[in-house]
Amino acid sequence: MKDDKPRRSGPGGGGAGGGNRSFSRRRKFCRFTAEGVKQIDYKDLAVLKQYITETGKIVPSRITGTKAFYQRQLAGAIKRARYLALLPYTDQH
Amino acid sequence: MRHYEIVFLVHPDQSEQVPAMIERYRGMISAGGGTVHRLEDWGRRQLTFPIAKVHKAHYVLLNVECDQKILAELTGAFRFSDAVLRHLVVNMDEAVTEPSPMAKAAQEEKEGGTRSRRDDSPFASDDDDMGVNA
Repeated sequence: MKDDKPRRSGPGGGGAGGGNRSFSRRRKFCRFTAEGVKQIDYKDLAVLKQYITETGKIVPSRITGTKAFYQRQLAGAIKRARYLALLPYTDQH
Repeated sequence: MRHYEIVFLVHPDQSEQVPAMIERYRGMISAGGGTVHRLEDWGRRQLTFPIAKVHKAHYVLLNVECDQKILAELTGAFRFSDAVLRHLVVNMDEAVTEPSPMAKAAQEEKEGGTRSRRDDSPFASDDDDMGVNA
């Protein structure tokens, strides 16, 4: 009889919506799945810019809701666009 | 024969030579039995960060079908050309001929139409049109 602890006990375990109940947020969805995008284009800056932060970082899929398949493509596309100086690596250039 | 997408950045001082450069590269491709499926000149664009101490560069996009040998020749030409600041080659599965988002944006601007429409960002909004998620 080893550890029969409850599965999550640490602070902030499942506390995402714990505090304020009235706070609701819009459901995340993957727009690439919704639009059935075949391949994310590194030249489509209007789209790519929505997935980088003000400091130029790639926004994680856990925030955006992008599916893993598209998140990988997106990361590649953003990195290509960065190489061509179409997108910034950082805001400190 | 494979499909490639090539983008290269030309030094803004050498901007006038771009048509001649394109012709030269096109000649190299057709001499090796390749074809150019798409050619776009995006013109001088602002760089998001300086490269080689310049803030603007002339962008050219090429979608070509050619042998590896010709591609090696092309990349060699890019490297030895002082005018080319940077180049990117991407392997493609098929020939792409429709205009890229970049060319489309330029076209729209030329027509003087409405400024690019804003898609609402798919994240980080707290509209309360959904129920409580606890």
